[in-house]
Amino acid sequence: MQWIGELWRQVRYRLSGARFDDDLAEEMRLHVDLRAADKQAKGLAPDAARAAARRQFGNATQMQEKSHAAWGWTRLESWRQDARYGLRTLGANPGFTATAVLSLALGIGANTAIFSILNAVLLRSLPVEDPQRLVQVRPGAEGDDEFTNPIWEAVRDRQQAFSGALAYAPDRFDMADGGESRYAVGLWVSGDFFRVLGVPAMEGRVFTRDEDRRGTAPLAVVSYAFWKRSFDGDADVIGKTVRLNRQSFEIVGVTPPWFRGLDRDWGFDVAIPIACDPILHPGHSRLDERADWWLRILGRMPAGESIEQARDRMRAIAPEIFRVTVPQEFPAQQQKDYLLSSFFLKRAATGFSEMGAQYRTALYTLMAIVGVVLLIACANIANLLLARAAARQREFSVRMAIGAGRARVVRQLMTESLLLSILGTVAGLLLAAWGSRLLIHFLSTSHHPLDIDLSLDPRVLAFTIAAAILTAFLFGLAPALRATRVELNQVMKENARTALRVSGRPSLGKALVTGQVALSLVLLVAAGLFLGTLRNLWAVDPGFTRHNILMVTVDVEQAGVPVARRAGTYGEILDRLRALPGVAAAASSMLTPISPEGWAQTVKPEGVAAKSPRDTLMFFNRISPGYFATLRTPLLLGRDFNDRDGLNAPKAMIVNESAARQFFGAANPIGKTIGMDEGDVYQIVGVVKDTKYNRINEEDRRIGYLAAGQDAEPGPHIRYTLRSDVPVETLIPAARGAIAGVNRGVSLEFRNFESQVSESLLLPRTVALLSSVFGSLALLLAMVGLYGITSYAVTRRKGEIAIRMALGAPRGSVVRLMLRDVAVLLALGMAAGLAASLATGRLVTSLLFGVRPGAPLQLAGAALILAAATAVAAYVPARRAARLDPMAALREE
Amino acid sequence: MAENARRDEIPPGTLYMLILKMLARHGQLHGYEIANAIQEVSDDVLQVEEGSLYPALQRMLLKGWVTAEWGVTAGNRRARYYRLMPAGRKQLMAEVAQYQRVNGAIHKILQTE
Repeated sequence: MQWIGELWRQVRYRLSGARFDDDLAEEMRLHVDLRAADKQAKGLAPDAARAAARRQFGNATQMQEKSHAAWGWTRLESWRQDARYGLRTLGANPGFTATAVLSLALGIGANTAIFSILNAVLLRSLPVEDPQRLVQVRPGAEGDDEFTNPIWEAVRDRQQAFSGALAYAPDRFDMADGGESRYAVGLWVSGDFFRVLGVPAMEGRVFTRDEDRRGTAPLAVVSYAFWKRSFDGDADVIGKTVRLNRQSFEIVGVTPPWFRGLDRDWGFDVAIPIACDPILHPGHSRLDERADWWLRILGRMPAGESIEQARDRMRAIAPEIFRVTVPQEFPAQQQKDYLLSSFFLKRAATGFSEMGAQYRTALYTLMAIVGVVLLIACANIANLLLARAAARQREFSVRMAIGAGRARVVRQLMTESLLLSILGTVAGLLLAAWGSRLLIHFLSTSHHPLDIDLSLDPRVLAFTIAAAILTAFLFGLAPALRATRVELNQVMKENARTALRVSGRPSLGKALVTGQVALSLVLLVAAGLFLGTLRNLWAVDPGFTRHNILMVTVDVEQAGVPVARRAGTYGEILDRLRALPGVAAAASSMLTPISPEGWAQTVKPEGVAAKSPRDTLMFFNRISPGYFATLRTPLLLGRDFNDRDGLNAPKAMIVNESAARQFFGAANPIGKTIGMDEGDVYQIVGVVKDTKYNRINEEDRRIGYLAAGQDAEPGPHIRYTLRSDVPVETLIPAARGAIAGVNRGVSLEFRNFESQVSESLLLPRTVALLSSVFGSLALLLAMVGLYGITSYAVTRRKGEIAIRMALGAPRGSVVRLMLRDVAVLLALGMAAGLAASLATGRLVTSLLFGVRPGAPLQLAGAALILAAATAVAAYVPARRAARLDPMAALREE
Repeated sequence: MAENARRDEIPPGTLYMLILKMLARHGQLHGYEIANAIQEVSDDVLQVEEGSLYPALQRMLLKGWVTAEWGVTAGNRRARYYRLMPAGRKQLMAEVAQYQRVNGAIHKILQTE
């Protein structure tokens, strides 16, 4: 640590404004003067006294230099000299400098952009107190991570594993009092939430354990961003109210700007106590629901305790906790399973990110792709530097001949490389700030707008600086070493042109180009795979039409429509929507396809003996008559639901082909029965074509449809599907009016089904787009590389070519001669690239759909594109060689 | 050069120790005073090539053993006065201890006859 102190004193000295040399000179002058005066006093003549004093002092100039060196100024100054000289050289070659800086900016910018997203959703710790001690309590190592409120309360009151525990659930709250919904990003939090995280209030107060009591008043803590946005940062906000799902919540506090909740994908607007649940869900509060799993539980481990110790302590109380919270409504077997549940602990320092979990492979793949692009860019710059070094051979030779060591010249060249990479990095950082936001914007949907904190943190900065230094060495060191390995005498004796021939350096350049070709091929193959995936996804027949469909979600919960009147209200709304001009067909359903929601349960089909519950798992939806016609899903057998399928009619079910085939084989499914858990038996009245349920790229599932008219207790939400002849957005005002005509107070949300479906393909679309962009970039860089090395070869062999032509070689043979070398490079590079593609293809399988890594046709296609592009790049200079005027060239030689 | 004949070069490596010692004794000195002090105390036996004081002082400043301040001499001229820092005091003790150990050992060797 000694050097830090020295560095500090050096800097402080520099900053103090002292003039080192003047100070030192004055000090020395004083010394000699005093000594001379002393000698004079002892009787020497003034002149002699002075001379003696000087003699005794020694060599003042040398002392001054030594003092200088003591502070390290010498080193510093020579660096500054190097940098100044380097900048001058770079400035003298604006074309080269611009090319190098631009390709570095693209390479480093892309890397920083992807890394900053990766960092924000997967790596960065939450900005809360000691995040490393936060752990999440989970019901299993994988899968769902929520608990019921009774379990949370039991954990809260019994646990001794943690110094503090908290529960929370993300949600969204409607801030509009009826009509079209305006959502706030909400959090349900336990009383201790903020205290355990160590988040203080910036204004007012945060919640306390008091807010855990049942019947607590409707209170809210809002985020800094929400406070600024909705209240203009007004300090009087405390005591004001915010409307959430038609209820007033009194604001008691504002959190500091750095706290954005525990979810990395978006911040939060407002947090309300879990104990307020009955206020928003009167009559069906989740507080005592033993089968409603909705809360995440986190704990803070006491200092010095390991996660294993905490886990063992939690597991010790698990039997007791599950015993007191067992859902009585579960069947006996399920209760038994429940009692055997346990707790799993997982570190929670980085918070939660759906995007991170979902896009993990994609993000790492993109990281690898941009890393390869940077490597290719480095190879390119290295090649340019090699060519330049050849041109500067004389300069180096002269410097070395007059005494500069090889290390000194290498240092000069490395300074130039470092300058290039610094310039590139600065531009790259700007590019990254813009690029990462653009990418997040790409991945954002209207339904789930992403709001990720991409601010520069030390980790991203360290990454970028490391990238800058590493690239400088990657592209700078080899050319610098190569350029300075010269036989001095020989170079000095001969002229500049022949000196080039002596150096024999092109093998390194060739190796670089070969590597570039290989890496470009890997990227092209990857781009091909992702584009193929996207094409296949678009080509999937989902079993329904996605064009000209408007989806309307109606929520009657806050409008106070009682359960008994819901069916009537829903029916009346449907009738009015059907009557709207422009609406070709309309229907209602409980769920919409291609959304994350679902309803699955095991069933008992007639005559089917299930070996495991998986064999009879079925996905469901509840629909009105006309649903299939609206979405243009073909009815294959039997009939659609109709108005006679009411509460008193026999229970009817429509199944899809997969269910019919897998349960009943070739037999006619119409008239067969399917039993549900509750003991109800449904008779199959129709079979429809398979449709996609949650995702476009899923395997066909067994799906059953129940009739809306046979739902005794309709839920508070319903979805209307409208097919129109006019652009769907133009329907919205009329639909809004029609629904308000039935009930003014219901909440509405409109979505274009087509965008809902295409948003579900955002990830493959983005990966395909980015991999194509970077693949093209790589191709371009490889072309530049090949062009460069061929041009260089042409210049170098000008004399030889001229002689050949003078002796009668036809132009075609000259072109062939030049291209022969390139062809070898290309072949070598392609072989390496193909091998690398085959080796890495398997890593991205999870991102692919309908394409197989290593498919010969696909590899051949990528190779062909690369071969064509590089052939063009090499042909242009080769052709120039053939146009050479032999006489002029030879005269020059 | 007669006056140099009866003086001895200071042993290599001990210049720091001597400067530190002088500063420890006198508190605050400028370069010329340090040179004089070393000569006087050693009864003019030890000779410092006076200029070499200055690079040494600069190195000591960098290492944080001493600190410097500009002041005015009795003759009313600007001079840089050096003062010992805690790190310098520690260094002095370490160097003296080491010097004595080595010296003691050499002394013992010379005694054995």
